[in-house]
Amino acid sequence: MSRPTIRRQHGRLQRVPRGNPQRRMGIGFLLIAIVLSVFAARLVQLQGVDPRSYAQMAAAEGSRIVALPATRGEILDRNGELLAETVDGRMIIANPVVTAPVAAELATYLARRLGVDYIETLERLRAEGSQFEYIARRVPASKAEKVVADIAERFKDDKDRPFTGLSTERDPLRIYPNDDVAANVLGFLGENGKEGDEAAVVGLAGLEDSFDAWLSGRDGEARYEVGAGNQIPLGDNTVTPAVDGKNLTLTLDRDLQFYAQRVLQQTVVNAAGESGIAIIMDSRTGDLLALADYPSYDASNPRDYPEELYKSSALSDVYEPGSVEKVLTISSLVDAGLGAKEQHFRVPGQLNRQDRPIGDYWEHGTLRLTLAGILAKSSNVGTVLAADQFDRGQLRSYLTDFGLGSRTGLGLGGESKGILPDGPDWTSQVGDRIAFGQSLSVNAVQMVTAINTVANGGVRVDPSIIQGSASTDEGATVGSGSATTRRVISEEAAQETMLMMERVVDPEAGVAGRAQVPGYRVAGKTGTAQRVVDGVYDGSTSVSFAGFAPADDPRFTIYVVVHRPRAGSGGGSTAGPAFAKLMSYTLRRYGVPPTGTRPNQTPVEW
Amino acid sequence: MSSGSSPLRNRLPYAAPRFAQAALERARLTVVPRTRRSRAPRVPFVTFVSVILLAGVVGLLLFNTSMQQASFRETALETQATDLSAQQEALEMDLQALREPQRVARSAQQMGMVIPSTPAGVLDLRTGKVTGDPVPASAEDSIPLQMPAPSKPEELRTSDSTRARTGGAPTAVR
Repeated sequence: MSRPTIRRQHGRLQRVPRGNPQRRMGIGFLLIAIVLSVFAARLVQLQGVDPRSYAQMAAAEGSRIVALPATRGEILDRNGELLAETVDGRMIIANPVVTAPVAAELATYLARRLGVDYIETLERLRAEGSQFEYIARRVPASKAEKVVADIAERFKDDKDRPFTGLSTERDPLRIYPNDDVAANVLGFLGENGKEGDEAAVVGLAGLEDSFDAWLSGRDGEARYEVGAGNQIPLGDNTVTPAVDGKNLTLTLDRDLQFYAQRVLQQTVVNAAGESGIAIIMDSRTGDLLALADYPSYDASNPRDYPEELYKSSALSDVYEPGSVEKVLTISSLVDAGLGAKEQHFRVPGQLNRQDRPIGDYWEHGTLRLTLAGILAKSSNVGTVLAADQFDRGQLRSYLTDFGLGSRTGLGLGGESKGILPDGPDWTSQVGDRIAFGQSLSVNAVQMVTAINTVANGGVRVDPSIIQGSASTDEGATVGSGSATTRRVISEEAAQETMLMMERVVDPEAGVAGRAQVPGYRVAGKTGTAQRVVDGVYDGSTSVSFAGFAPADDPRFTIYVVVHRPRAGSGGGSTAGPAFAKLMSYTLRRYGVPPTGTRPNQTPVEW
Repeated sequence: MSSGSSPLRNRLPYAAPRFAQAALERARLTVVPRTRRSRAPRVPFVTFVSVILLAGVVGLLLFNTSMQQASFRETALETQATDLSAQQEALEMDLQALREPQRVARSAQQMGMVIPSTPAGVLDLRTGKVTGDPVPASAEDSIPLQMPAPSKPEELRTSDSTRARTGGAPTAVR
């Protein structure tokens, strides 16, 4: 209403002619629309077409990404002693462009401080056309930083500036503080052999390999804005924390493992054997306290040793167990109600069966032995006669229950499950031989678990090497936490078998007087098996001794095997003394007092 | 409406407002007299605003500087922490090496100690009685301290096989 008045006033003041207000507004809006369209188009270009690359460009400007490497889990023994740990390490890198002029002096210094090879280092420091040469890898961080700092100070240039020829990069260092102790179980780490981004350090053997994912964890990442080498406060800052690897606690006892390895070494070397295995198991829990292989390697320097040693032969190598298996045959007989310890047998010197005669390791006429005597004297003929009472398939089902022919599931890779003949393969000849431990193959852990079933009152406990539970890379959950038990033979049968096994170590009645542990009651069984090499028995043997103590309240089951000892070695004379040494030490170490009872005197003859 | 029982009482209150209203009506229509612009003193106000501005800027600057300072210090302390933890690790490694069973066994055997396999006495803590028939250990109980050296020939050791794996770098230094 009042507008015309005002306009008239203005018009009077300025006297400037103006166009149509509608037109002017139209032009104004058009201009605004054009500008906004340009903005809109740009917005679509930025957000619609390829938003990621722009976001990345923006982020890359002044921001820094730092990988946060996950720390690999430790491997500990049952008492918390370190078996494998990761420490902060460095690689030392030289820039030959800078180092070449002082190469000789620098190489001398590096050789002295780091123990690297002088000639090799000299070549690297002088390498032409290169700006990046490794001088040393996996050096403990404090040592590497100190050496590089000392060198920076020592080799100052003429303007008194610190030397810049050497630098360090993060390079974690896996340490096996006990070198060869339990190396066969632990394994070691190494490059996976891939190039570029795929390259990584992974477990190459043992638990490091089978629990790689469990131990390694997940790497994280920190992303932040930097200025002059420092983080800008209040700047963009995102952190994806690293998930550290989980620890692995083993059932092994480091000191016992050490002793077992050394005693085994002594035994194998003295018997001029090729290899050997010693296993110590807690009878009640199935925990493996020691799992020793000989020969073994040094986990700190695995490349000095042949690759065939990067395994636990107690799991990966199968062999015919020989007479130790008689324990299983006879305990099954007792459980089936087909045998008793004083049952009478007439044992001839030789037994003529379908394909070839079966004999004993010693010449004898017809003997009058009890079942206990058959076991104590380790008579093949007697065992075959006793096993004749089984129905068809009965022995096999017992042996399957004892765990032969199936994997033990310890969690270590590369386990062979052995061969337990089945169906048409189980002919009567094969059955005869299986009764005394030939024509079937087992790994040592299967065998010690089977013998431990007798020690544990007839209940088989899964063996375990991991305390608690852990999952392997294959997804299996293993460990003492998930170990299962099952009854294989009755408690009475186990007790009766124990009494017979006790006669084995009797110096007069049995064959393994040297396996006795002074002061304790011991039950055990010797084994001398012919070895199959390329499908034929080549005359070499595997001698072994398996047993447990105290016999009337078993705490530990120990199994010692020596492959290819010199001719004439027997289970009692070769493996027996090693068993006695290990058992004596283990009982003392765990403070097990003698039970104070006297060994039984079941007659072996009648 | 005015002709009531008490005309005076009625008239008085209404008469006055009528006057007032008229006056008010007149007053509203009058041109407001030009008041002289108040000469409030400007200096204090300007000073006040400047001080606030200055304080803000300086405060922000100080705050920023202190944040930066803290950041520098954080970086320095982090480096120190890394150094110290590396030192701790090195010391722990030394300790590990000293506790290694091989080393302990070697020291013990040098002192003439062996792990016995002979009968041991058992001391019952409840009764204080020693049972068993302890026999001193003999030198026969000594065990080998080292495992045998690698069987690979000397020339094949470390360098060649390692070179391929570490990109030509020497192996771990301990």
